[in-house]
Amino acid sequence: MLLIHCPYCEEDRPEVEFVNGGQAHIARPADPSSESDADWEKYLYIRRNPRGRHHERWRHIHGCGRFFNAVRDTVSDRFETTYKAGEPAK
Amino acid sequence: MSETVAADLVLLDQPFTAPGVRIAIAPAMMRYALRARDPAVLSAVIGRVLPSRIGDVVDGIACLGPDEWLALLPAGTVLENETGQLVSVVDVSCRAVGITVEGPGAVALVATGCPLDVERMAVGRATRTVFETVEIVLWRKAVDAFHIDVWRSFAPWLGAALVAGSPS
Repeated sequence: MLLIHCPYCEEDRPEVEFVNGGQAHIARPADPSSESDADWEKYLYIRRNPRGRHHERWRHIHGCGRFFNAVRDTVSDRFETTYKAGEPAK
Repeated sequence: MSETVAADLVLLDQPFTAPGVRIAIAPAMMRYALRARDPAVLSAVIGRVLPSRIGDVVDGIACLGPDEWLALLPAGTVLENETGQLVSVVDVSCRAVGITVEGPGAVALVATGCPLDVERMAVGRATRTVFETVEIVLWRKAVDAFHIDVWRSFAPWLGAALVAGSPS
């Protein structure tokens, strides 16, 4: 079983306790009504789908309940690192 | 068990024993869901010490997350909750059922459905996790004794799964 390090619990925990929350580090525009349709579409729908290193949000839903960010390789499924929400991208 | 549907399951009405393991429903207890941004404020409100490290338990209060605690206290214990402070102290006593698993075979039995490394879990630690697909709070009370807190509607299934997983 894949083990994921939870930065809040500070433990390696089984994968089934977690859910994926999509791409990380997408900031909501401060003033949505001033966004152009194209920019708003980009914020809502356009996501990277890299082959390799990917920044993702994960949630330790059956554990501490917290969202955090992870760097995962989409080819090997290996987690390079995990870090708390709000910390700069690694 | 293949011909049994979940709705037909009943909660263990008496303790179940198998070689090396005993499964029973825990006595009724008070449960509080505790939330607070600042643990010091919550600690002052309820007048109890809160564990700070996730997974630790102090006097029946387990730290489940950075701002979340679950209090499993003897029946009749009341925590102060009319405070006006920015904390949440909610009585959830009837939300869950406690199931105790005891005996030399307890670790192996819990491990039949729990993906944690149960053997390496330190005595006195508690954590939210899963048993198969059911969310539980697992509390290791001794080397060979566990308390499993499970939401009421899942309890008959969990009891049956533990009985089914016991050595014959």
